[in-house]
Amino acid sequence: MVEVFAVASGKGGTGKTTSTVALGMALAERYDVTVVDADTGMANLLFHAGLSDAETTLHDVLADSAPVEAAAYDRFGMTVVPCGTSLDGFRDADPARLREVVATLAADTDVILLDSPPALDSRAAVLPVVMADRTVVVLQPTIPAISDGLKVQEYAASYGTGVAGILFNKVREDGIEAVAEKTERYFEGPTLGAVPESERAREARRAGRPLLAHAPDCEAARVYREAADSLSVRHGESGDVADRFRSAVIPETP
Amino acid sequence: MRLPRGRLLKSRVVSDPREPLAEVLDRALTGYAVFESQDSLLLDGDGRGVVTFTGGVPVVAYHTGTDRGGPPALADLAVPGPYHVSVFELDAAELAPVHEVDELAVPPGMPAERLAGDPALADSTRRSAPAERTGGPSETHEDHGAVEAFLEDEEKIAAIREQARKEAKERAAEWGFNDT
Repeated sequence: MVEVFAVASGKGGTGKTTSTVALGMALAERYDVTVVDADTGMANLLFHAGLSDAETTLHDVLADSAPVEAAAYDRFGMTVVPCGTSLDGFRDADPARLREVVATLAADTDVILLDSPPALDSRAAVLPVVMADRTVVVLQPTIPAISDGLKVQEYAASYGTGVAGILFNKVREDGIEAVAEKTERYFEGPTLGAVPESERAREARRAGRPLLAHAPDCEAARVYREAADSLSVRHGESGDVADRFRSAVIPETP
Repeated sequence: MRLPRGRLLKSRVVSDPREPLAEVLDRALTGYAVFESQDSLLLDGDGRGVVTFTGGVPVVAYHTGTDRGGPPALADLAVPGPYHVSVFELDAAELAPVHEVDELAVPPGMPAERLAGDPALADSTRRSAPAERTGGPSETHEDHGAVEAFLEDEEKIAAIREQARKEAKERAAEWGFNDT
């Protein structure tokens, strides 16, 4: 079985990578999880997963100079596929090849999380949402973040991608319940959780470790684990998913 | 709300409200800013939102299209950009009558935090606010008011979704995603 989730937000700064890694680690207690840095223009995942010195990255795979396995690292109970930081690597990478990568990974895992770019303004930015079965929309309780989250949902729907749930992050004050309840009415999926803003999360990022490894007992980590528990993973046949990605008609960039 | 006309400092189109809020704080402006949506497709698009400032810190908000004040006015002026923004300088004495109307008041950090979605700017705004305007027990809680008012505006949200659907469809064709 495999289900592919895009962890997305229309807006930057919502803590999407922290959330992707935290959900991945929590889901890894029940599933075989693969986390992919699908934001190929802004390498971020490697810094969260202690891989800043990774020699082979997704960029090499997308440039056709390495097999997927060479860019897949076992870290913190998950398989992590990071992007690199070199500009050359980014220039040579062809985002359209991402579907091949996901198809290959799908053959051998239960859950794939795609850490998606915080924008909807290009093919590469939208590609993870196009490829995913469902998306987890990361929000902050602000008007622009919720507006952009709604846009993500509409874009996803137009590609047949559903919404698995919404996750409020970096919540700084009380009263989020009312906001979450009102927000939920406009989204297809339920509220998975409301993660408080956390100094632990900043420390974890600086230490190059996932929050759930750095401070497993903090409130934010607890909420992430609960959010992962409430995420119902649907069963699909790995072969079907792999075929679907391989057959997806995505023209090459002109 | 009668506001004497101030001295126009700036008038331009911006993509989101963060920029003028940051600038007004930098200049420690006492006066007001008028936000006018450039998108007539959305509801309230024809009204204008007014936010006043003392020393760069937001004091009251009002929307001419909906005739609402306070946090709901911030929700009313929140439409996907661009905005036309005019910034005026005005004496504190001339702003005083408007600043005394409790129903129009907004917490100092609310426009930056909820309308612009910039917590760091909200924090610097709160630091610049006089002590009596911050730290009250309900200040942070109240901060959700603008977001809740926004979420209660079903028609506006339907319009935002509709616009996104249309845009997604157009771009899918443009990017060749139609057959996926």
